[in-house]
Amino acid sequence: MNQFLDMVLIGISAASIYSLMAISMVLVWRSTQVVNFAQAGMALLSTYIGYELVARVGHFWIALPLAMILGAAFSAFIEFVLMRTLQKHSSQGAIAAIAPIIATLGLLGLIRAGIGFIWGHADVQLEAPLSKVGYTFGDVTIVMSPMGLFVLLFVITLMIIVSIVFQRTNIGLALRASAYAPEIAQLAGIRVSGIRTLGWAIAGAAGAAAGILQTVNGTGALTPESLEFSLLLVFGFIAAVIGGLESLPGAVLGALILGLVLAAVQIYISGALVFIVAFLLLLLVLGLRPQGFLGSKAGRRA
Amino acid sequence: MLKKHPLITFIFFGFILFLISNRLDEIRVYQGATVAIYAIGIASLILLIGYSGQVSLGHGAFLAIGGFAAALARIHYEAPIWLTFVVAVLAAAIGGALLGLAAARLSGPYLAGTTLALAIGLPSIANQFSILGGEQGITFDIGLPPASLGEDFTQYKWFFWISWTVALITLYWLRNILNSRYGRGWRAVRSNDVAAELAGIHVGRNKVLAFTISAGLAGLAGALLAMTISLASPGVFPLALSFSLATGAVLSGVTTLGGVMIGAVTLVAIPEIALAIANRYGSETITTNLPGLLVSALLILTVLFVPNGPVEQIHAKRAKKGHSSHSLVEISVRVGSKKWSTNKK
Repeated sequence: MNQFLDMVLIGISAASIYSLMAISMVLVWRSTQVVNFAQAGMALLSTYIGYELVARVGHFWIALPLAMILGAAFSAFIEFVLMRTLQKHSSQGAIAAIAPIIATLGLLGLIRAGIGFIWGHADVQLEAPLSKVGYTFGDVTIVMSPMGLFVLLFVITLMIIVSIVFQRTNIGLALRASAYAPEIAQLAGIRVSGIRTLGWAIAGAAGAAAGILQTVNGTGALTPESLEFSLLLVFGFIAAVIGGLESLPGAVLGALILGLVLAAVQIYISGALVFIVAFLLLLLVLGLRPQGFLGSKAGRRA
Repeated sequence: MLKKHPLITFIFFGFILFLISNRLDEIRVYQGATVAIYAIGIASLILLIGYSGQVSLGHGAFLAIGGFAAALARIHYEAPIWLTFVVAVLAAAIGGALLGLAAARLSGPYLAGTTLALAIGLPSIANQFSILGGEQGITFDIGLPPASLGEDFTQYKWFFWISWTVALITLYWLRNILNSRYGRGWRAVRSNDVAAELAGIHVGRNKVLAFTISAGLAGLAGALLAMTISLASPGVFPLALSFSLATGAVLSGVTTLGGVMIGAVTLVAIPEIALAIANRYGSETITTNLPGLLVSALLILTVLFVPNGPVEQIHAKRAKKGHSSHSLVEISVRVGSKKWSTNKK
C-alpha cells in the first residue's frame, strides 16, 4: 500500500513538470505548426537565468517569475526573428517539411554554446528554497516534500490561469481561432502573426517554469549538456503526443499517464528501464492512435 | 566527366586520394578518414531526407548499432575485417527496417521526435546489455596493417585507405541506386505521395526500403568510426553525432548527393578552425564552445538562406539562365544526363 502511495505521489510530481513541458510544445505546435526541439534548450537557458537571478537578487521567489518573464521574452524573440524569416525563405523544395525542425536543432546548439560561453561547463548549483525531506505522519515518511508540494500547487495554479486565459478572455479566443483556422481568423480581424508570437511567449514561460522546478526538485545541478533536460524534452514530447499534440488538456492527461507509468516501472521493476518503457509507450501510441487521445480526428499519418 | 564516366571519375578520385595520403602527416590522414566516414553518414541521411522525404534526428543510433555489431563480430567470432562491415550493415539495416515500419506511418515532426528520443535514450538502452560493456564499451581492434604494405605504413594510413575505399564504393553504389527506378520512386513519393500511389508506386514499401538502406549505410559508417577509435561505446556515438550528421546533410544540400563532400569536410574543418581561433586568443572557453557555435550558426544560416543546399542553388541559377519553364517542374526525373520533367499538377 505504502509502495503504491509512493508510486502515485512520484508519478504526479513528475507529471506536473512533464505537463508544463508538454504544454509549451503544444502551444508552439498550435501557433506555428512546429515542434520546437529547442524547447529544452530554451528551458535550460531560462534556468541558468534563474540561477543568475537567485545569485544577484537572493530570493528564489522573485527569481522564478522573473526568469519566466525573461524566458517568454526570449521565446517571443526567437519566433519573431527566426521563425518568421524561415517562413519567408524556406517554404519550397525538399527541405520545406524539415526546415523548422533543423532550425530548432541549430537553435539548440546555439543556446548550448552560448551557455557554455557565459557560465562555463562546470556544474552550477541551483539550491531548493524549501526542504526536500518528505512529510512524516506518525512513523510513516511519504515521498512528498514541501518542495514537491509547492511544485505541484504551482503547476496546478499555472494550469488554472492558462485555462481561464484560453476559455474566458478575448486573447484566449484569438489564440484558439488562429490555431484552428489562421486565414479565417485573419479575415475576422485577428493579427495572426502577433498571436503566434504570443503563443511562443507563453510556451517560453511554461518551459522556463518546467526547467527551474525540475532542477530545484531534482539534484539542483546544471550543465550545458544536461541529460536531464534532454530527457525533459523527450518526456514532454511523448506526453504531448499521447495527448494529441494539439490539445492542452490532452497534454496534461498525457503527462499524467506517462508520469504514473514511469513511476510504476521505477518502483515495481527497475529505474534503469524508465527510458525504454517511455520509448515503447511512444511507439505504441503512435502505432495504435497516432492522433493521440484528445487530438482531432484529422490523421497524423504521413 | 562525372556525368559520362562516373566509375572512372570515382577511381580517379580514389587514386588522387591515395597520392595525397602519402604526403600528409598523421593527424591529417586521420582527419581524412573521418571525412570519409562523415561522407557515408551524410549520404545515408541525404537518401532518407532528400529522396524519401523522411527525417531522422537520431541517425547516431544506427551508427551505434553498426559499430557495436562490428565489434561484437570481431571479438566473439574473430571475423575478418570485411565481414565485420557486412555484419554492421546487416544489423543496422534490420534495426532500420523495424523503425522504418513505424516511421512510414508518421509525418515529419512525429518521426523527428521519435528518432530524437531514440538517440537521446541510446546510452541508457546500451547500458542494459552487459554484452555491450556499459559505459566503457567494447574494443574494436582490426589489427595492424598487412606487412606487405611496408614498414612505415602507419595504422592511421591503413584506416584512411579502408575508409576511403569503402566510402567511394558506397557513394558510387548509392549514386546508381538514386538514379535507378528506386531513386525515382523515392523522389516521386516525396514530391507527392498521392500522385506516386496513382502511378503504381507502393508508398509504404518505398519508405521502409529507404529507411532500411539508409540505416544500413549509417551502420557501415558506425563500424568505420568505431574502427578509427578502436572502440565501440555509448560515448563514441553521442547525441551530438546525430546532430552533426543532420547538419552535414543540410550543409551539403539534401536533394543531391553531389554536395556530400561539402558537409563532410565542413564538419571536420570547423573544430580545426575553432582551435586555430582559440589558439590565437588563448582561451579554453573558446576551444570548447566555438565549434558548437559555428556549426549551429552555419546550420541556421543555411536553412534560412540556402535551404536546398549549395549544389541545388547553382543548378537553380543555371536553370534560370537557360530556360524559364524550369520553375514549373515539381517532379523532375533524371536518367543519366537527360532530364524528363512533368509540370506541376
